[in-house]
Amino acid sequence: MTYVITSSCVDIKDMSCIEECPVDCIYEGERKLYIQPKECIDCGACEPVCPVDAIYPDRTLPDDRVDDKEDNRAFFYEPLPGRAEPLAAPGGSMKTGPIEADTARTAGLPPNPDAD
Amino acid sequence: MNVDVLIVGAGPSGLYAAYYAGFRGLTTAIIDALPEAGGQVTALYPEKQIYDVAGFPAIKGKDLIEQLVAQAAPFNPHYLLGQQAIGYQALDDGVLVTTASGIAVRAGAVVVTGGIGTFTPRPLPGGDSWVGRGLEYIVPTYLPYAGKDVVVVGGGDSAVDWALGLEGVADSVTLVHRRDEFRAHAHSVKLLQDSSIRVVTPVQPVSLDGSAVLESLTVRHVKSREESVIGCQAVVAALGFTADISPLEAWGLAVQERHIVVDTTMATNLPRVFAAGDITEYDGKVRLISVGFGEAATAVCNAATVIDPTATVFPGHSTEGAPQ
Repeated sequence: MTYVITSSCVDIKDMSCIEECPVDCIYEGERKLYIQPKECIDCGACEPVCPVDAIYPDRTLPDDRVDDKEDNRAFFYEPLPGRAEPLAAPGGSMKTGPIEADTARTAGLPPNPDAD
Repeated sequence: MNVDVLIVGAGPSGLYAAYYAGFRGLTTAIIDALPEAGGQVTALYPEKQIYDVAGFPAIKGKDLIEQLVAQAAPFNPHYLLGQQAIGYQALDDGVLVTTASGIAVRAGAVVVTGGIGTFTPRPLPGGDSWVGRGLEYIVPTYLPYAGKDVVVVGGGDSAVDWALGLEGVADSVTLVHRRDEFRAHAHSVKLLQDSSIRVVTPVQPVSLDGSAVLESLTVRHVKSREESVIGCQAVVAALGFTADISPLEAWGLAVQERHIVVDTTMATNLPRVFAAGDITEYDGKVRLISVGFGEAATAVCNAATVIDPTATVFPGHSTEGAPQ
């Protein structure tokens, strides 16, 4: 079980969730943030602090957001553009810093009208 | 210090282990890196209702912790809070655990109820060399800030509460945050708006500067990228906490994906070291408080037979006698 950051985060990247996460499992992509599903301990600390309500437990994703679960997985377990190997479970975003890439699906999303 | 059972981690499983050890007539000490008992429950969700603790249709996180502390209290567990257990040494008839501050605890057995690991403050990027020389991550007391210009960094409850607490003690208080909105409780944010605290947003800290002592914090505006310098003699960074099990891994414990491998007696690979609660790993493991309680009892009762080979694993029924 894991929490999932949905595409509501695209172009927003508020980062409050990163400050709340006690296991540092939220990673910064180019356009959105992603939760490492194996590192997430399902504590739920990130969910209420998201200003755009982008975060859900994978068990209760809204119907129009279910694809985001696979997108979060793919970010870690498929090689990202410009990389030969998948990120896998790096053990904390403080170690990796910003990843500066997105999944192909997220990279191709239209600009978020809610972003300023 | 000399005890029968040393418990590492004062979350629900650790507190229940303290009760259980006491019930079995064993003396205990409980170490935790956080300044308060309760572990994740206290740190992450003290106000949330928990619905799956046996016997309680609903109980608030902090109330559960209060009850667990009360349940163990008759047996006088020795609390070592704000202490990190780092050193481990196996002795012929026990173990020796030392804390980061140099306290040595000799115990017949250890029960590790460390949950997700040791909570440590999230560091302020670039702040390393200023820690203890003007940069602090927690504010246990406001007095050392008297007469100083203080900058608090962060947007959560700790940042806002500390800024409010420092107002009136410090010469001036500035609160900086990378966004305009604060996610602290609405009531605290209202108090902040009505206070004399200077709020600077949306900015990111860039560097701490000074010659011998801290003199300023430079921040950069998130959008315009313009930098500005805030004169100060103290910076408090309240950027949250992360948990890390590597201090326990360093004992030589067998760890699998951030969890300690145990057998059915809750024994780890190290002699006289048991584990219970969220930190354990075995086939079919379920990470819930209810499961942690059961494991705590199993760990303590099996530890009892290691401490005293004539003891039995089964403790007897609690109905046979209330604590004195």
